[in-house]
Amino acid sequence: MNILVCLKQILDPEIPAREFRVDPAKREAERGNANLVTNIFCENALETALQFREASGEAKITVLSFGAASAEDSLRKALAMKADAAALVINDKSSNPDPLTVAQVLATAIRKLGSFDLVMLGREAGDWGAGQTAGLLAEELGLPCVSFVDRIEQMEGGLRMKRQTDSGWEVLETQPPVVVSITNDEHNVPRIPKVRDVMMSYRQPLTQWTLAELGYDTEDSQYYEVIELSIPQTESRCEFVSGDTLDERVESLARRITEVTSAL
Amino acid sequence: MNDVVICLVNPAAFDRAAQGLAGCGRRLAEQTGSQLKAIVRSPQSPTVAQDAARVVDEVVVLDQGDYQPETALSALGQVCRQLSPNAVLFGNDTYSQEITPRLAHRLGGSAVGDVVDITVHENALRVTRQVYGGKAQAVIELKRSPAVLWTRSRSFAPAKQLSEPGKHTELSLDLPADTPTRIIERKRELQTEQRLEEARVIVSGGRGIGGPEPFNDELKPLAEILGAQLAASRAACDAGWVPPTFQVGQTGKKVTPDLYLAIAITGASQHMAGISEAKNIAAINTDPDAPIFKHCRFGIVEDYRKVVPLLRQKLIALQNSQR
Amino acid sequence: MNPAGATRQIYWNISHIWAMYVLLLPAIAIFAYGFYRQIKRWRRGTPAARFDQPLTRFKLVFTHALAQRRTARNTYAGVFHRFISYGFVILTIATTVVALDADFGTAIMRGHFYLYFQSLTVDLFGALVLVGVGLAAARRYISRTKTLVYTDEATWILVLIAFICLQGFLLEGWRIAATNDPWASYSPIGNLIARVSRPLLSDAALQGAHRFTWWFHLLLSFGVLAWFPYTKMMHIATAPLNIYTAQLAPLGASLKHIDFEKTESFGVNSLAAFTWKDLLDLDACTECGRCTAVCPAHTVGKELSPRDIVLGLRDLMRNDGLTSSPAIIGSIPATSPVALWQCTTCVACMEACPVFIEQMPKIVDMRRYLVMEEAEFPESMQQAITSLEKRGHPFSGTNATRVDWADGLDVKHINDVRDAEVLLWVGCGGALIERNQKVTRATAQLLNQAGVKFAILGRDEKCSGDPARRIGNEFLFEMLAKDNVENLNKHHVKKVVTSCPHCFNAFRNEYPHFGGNFEVYHHSEYLAQLVKEGKLKSISATNKKVTFHDPCYLGRQNGVYDSPRQLVQIASKGAAIEMARSREKSFCCGGGGGMSFVDEPPDKRVNQERAREALATGADVLAVGCPFCMTMMEDGINARRGDQEMRVMDVAELLWEASSSSD
Repeated sequence: MNILVCLKQILDPEIPAREFRVDPAKREAERGNANLVTNIFCENALETALQFREASGEAKITVLSFGAASAEDSLRKALAMKADAAALVINDKSSNPDPLTVAQVLATAIRKLGSFDLVMLGREAGDWGAGQTAGLLAEELGLPCVSFVDRIEQMEGGLRMKRQTDSGWEVLETQPPVVVSITNDEHNVPRIPKVRDVMMSYRQPLTQWTLAELGYDTEDSQYYEVIELSIPQTESRCEFVSGDTLDERVESLARRITEVTSAL
Repeated sequence: MNDVVICLVNPAAFDRAAQGLAGCGRRLAEQTGSQLKAIVRSPQSPTVAQDAARVVDEVVVLDQGDYQPETALSALGQVCRQLSPNAVLFGNDTYSQEITPRLAHRLGGSAVGDVVDITVHENALRVTRQVYGGKAQAVIELKRSPAVLWTRSRSFAPAKQLSEPGKHTELSLDLPADTPTRIIERKRELQTEQRLEEARVIVSGGRGIGGPEPFNDELKPLAEILGAQLAASRAACDAGWVPPTFQVGQTGKKVTPDLYLAIAITGASQHMAGISEAKNIAAINTDPDAPIFKHCRFGIVEDYRKVVPLLRQKLIALQNSQR
Repeated sequence: MNPAGATRQIYWNISHIWAMYVLLLPAIAIFAYGFYRQIKRWRRGTPAARFDQPLTRFKLVFTHALAQRRTARNTYAGVFHRFISYGFVILTIATTVVALDADFGTAIMRGHFYLYFQSLTVDLFGALVLVGVGLAAARRYISRTKTLVYTDEATWILVLIAFICLQGFLLEGWRIAATNDPWASYSPIGNLIARVSRPLLSDAALQGAHRFTWWFHLLLSFGVLAWFPYTKMMHIATAPLNIYTAQLAPLGASLKHIDFEKTESFGVNSLAAFTWKDLLDLDACTECGRCTAVCPAHTVGKELSPRDIVLGLRDLMRNDGLTSSPAIIGSIPATSPVALWQCTTCVACMEACPVFIEQMPKIVDMRRYLVMEEAEFPESMQQAITSLEKRGHPFSGTNATRVDWADGLDVKHINDVRDAEVLLWVGCGGALIERNQKVTRATAQLLNQAGVKFAILGRDEKCSGDPARRIGNEFLFEMLAKDNVENLNKHHVKKVVTSCPHCFNAFRNEYPHFGGNFEVYHHSEYLAQLVKEGKLKSISATNKKVTFHDPCYLGRQNGVYDSPRQLVQIASKGAAIEMARSREKSFCCGGGGGMSFVDEPPDKRVNQERAREALATGADVLAVGCPFCMTMMEDGINARRGDQEMRVMDVAELLWEASSSSD
């Protein structure tokens, strides 16, 4: 089986809210003191791929990323987790490519890397959280798509997958080739690589392309444009519910609670 | 042509989510001077189309049986091509989310998810959504048509009823029988089997609860009313009042609910580390200086023993009035 | 009679002496072979540099092998052990004198020497040996002390020593009786036996019994000699050797560095991966069990037992473990991962060991293997490690920044201060844990009050790496250490003050390896000095009773006990109430070694045990000097206090409350 896993490197989503800043002109978050990390859902995808390989016996796992040169670190970590090959498309053009651009670039790179039975992505990225890339990539590649998967197994003549829904879960059967978006589960927490593998990963080959070398022109590929990015001024003060009597205050509390829960 | 279309995928009823979706669609249709149509795919009850027709100008019912991803997508694609809308709007259920990007691609449009507002700006549609884990908000202008969006439909006001119900059309489509992907099993999970990490509402108790009984006698009924899961801080678990599986915090579960109701919890960092991604935190605590209040959206300084029984009554009353 | 001529006939009543020499040969051969085998085994270990500073090392041997200071910490054991060991020293000298006189023509055992040493002293010390064995046997078989190791070998050794000694007295007594020795009164015990035996045995019987016992005594003694290196008696040789090659650096510097470029396997999962010193440790163990007795994990009922790790590995080594090279982790219950992950790295075990065995580094060596070679370690520790890698601190999920604590205070970043005297190293706990932020604030405010020009690194601070190192990820530790050293050197930092003993230990003992040579102070040391210099004045000392919990990484591991107590004294009108387990005997709070990231079973919590002890002092305040201790002890006290009130406060907070005018 030939498996391809897409990885996105993002700013650490867990930086404290106090330190989060946006650049209103560039319309993206400021780097500040944040570290760069691999998107957790992408890591879940990689972990799912690794476990699939362990269970089914044989598979080649290639990891692919479209991003800044620093995304190499994410790919090296994937190699340390024992992915077999890695490729990086360096984004030297648009600063915040929209999901369609990303999907098209990934599709171009994937076609160049070979033919794959299983293309896996995280369900969304921890920064922009668009959640569109997997579906768009499936369409670009002309492949079916299964979303929110947390488990994949090989079966006679195909793949069986379990995916999460808002009310529970579903089991699907499908035949490769297929694009899958992965969501997190207690079973696909990314493994910690062995230190030796981390050291070795920097000596492994890594394919690298600029957009020009890939033969992709990002001119006019965007289907949307970010007009404004701002941090909403939230009241960091706690609203102590109003009311003169206990009854009134609990009434306010009940209303506030209901406001929140009814929007779910 | 250039209408606004809302899509309901396998709806059980024309519920609050559907009503909000229709409200969102109607607002947009008014802004663009166009009609509002609804595609109802495989409704689980005939009342769905009827209720939809009260608020939209035309209802197209697609009878396709159970949801299968590829056939549903193809069908909706075909219908949308026929209708040629400006915008196709979905709710935030799983099926809608997975259809959105693929449908957009097939229609040559733009796809955006988790939209909380739509405006029109010089003939272009602009949508608003939260990004960066809820820390920021983005306004995005769509460059291609149609806009295919899934929305937080429940947060929109429902559409007003029309004086006359809209048109009703039934469609059956010619689609290939065999698809590469098949759902073979579905399961609805009961609330109580849900994992704490996935709970949307959590009622949590801390050291101030004082003992194991109030968890059962006071907090559990409250949780049931809210459809919430029960959790606890480390202090309560350490004291043996609740099992360790209840523990939320640095060395416990990390939860991401929409509402975390912290009852008699001081809110030390180790506990807060488990709920840093909760969207709304509310607290009941006797100590106005408790650190938890620094992280709350709202709260009450009072003994939980006085608040919780009264709160349960009031919540039930509010829920009843909404039905 | 003229005492100048006093002596005895050496081989009285014994013929065929040649047989003795013949029997001696195999005994010595077997004895030598035993030694040789042990030394050969040790040499299979990896290198270690333990022969520097010979003068210091000899002093250690004198204090601990000869004077047996640590052994005597248990008074009872100290008494009987000294009786037995000194007794044997005297007996050995005496036997040597006999051999010299017998085979080398000397005439040492004559006159006053014969009377006062060879007879009187030897009798007394022989008696002490018997008393010592009796006391040892009473502890072993009557009190049944739990931490001892109960083997047949141990029983046999006691029995043989006693029996051989007794035989010696019988021989002496029967000789005295049969020869009517005029100097009998100089051998009181022999004399006693002679007096008792004379009426019971005829001359012929005496001679016969004497001859029989003499050869029996010889056989037993030669047998014990041959058996010696195969039993724990070997500690007589290995203990002094182990003490000589002991670690001279403070206990906080116990962990080894790894050369990542050259090492083939990280950490230890086979005996040959240990150093020769580690292997010598295994053979030096006297099975006393004190390490396990003081181990905090073991005390609360967990599986961890340092003694069993040492003895288990020793047995493995003796059973061909170095050649067949089996995996040692999990090969015995003592080295199961469960046990290894319970260690708080407090080094109470090393402090207690009378022969200076290094138990904790072996545990960390095995952790290193599990973490770096297998990536198999507790999930909560994995989260801490991942957070360290991604964010430079171990507290995943925290919403605090590294500078939140400084809100409203006059605190400057090092970039904005020229000629800062001191770098205040805040540490992850002090910055990101809400309760500990108050300690950092108190420290900063005190420094400001004293007019100290200090700076912080703010967001440029990264974890010192201590949790990574103790959990076993030496690789990550090195990365963090190198980054920090580079950062501090870039800013030309000379003096560092920190309120975290783990950071303190890392900077003082571990960073020099990476080129970081700083003067490092624990905040209590620096603050105590400021008070001494009159720069901080106490305004209102509290009336409250305060007890102090020595942090392991400050006290036992680095020898700093007094400055925090000085602060308690200044702030509270009285000396700190000492818990029974204090200073170097302090009982760990349970937070070190990565354990503060782990949820222990509710009935086996180290912090609750220490809390119990603190609460029993009846103090109003438990003073601490470490962010981990703060967290663990607050949890522990909360769980155990019932209705009793006890505040947990850092010594800096105590001082600040006493020094600041209330607002």
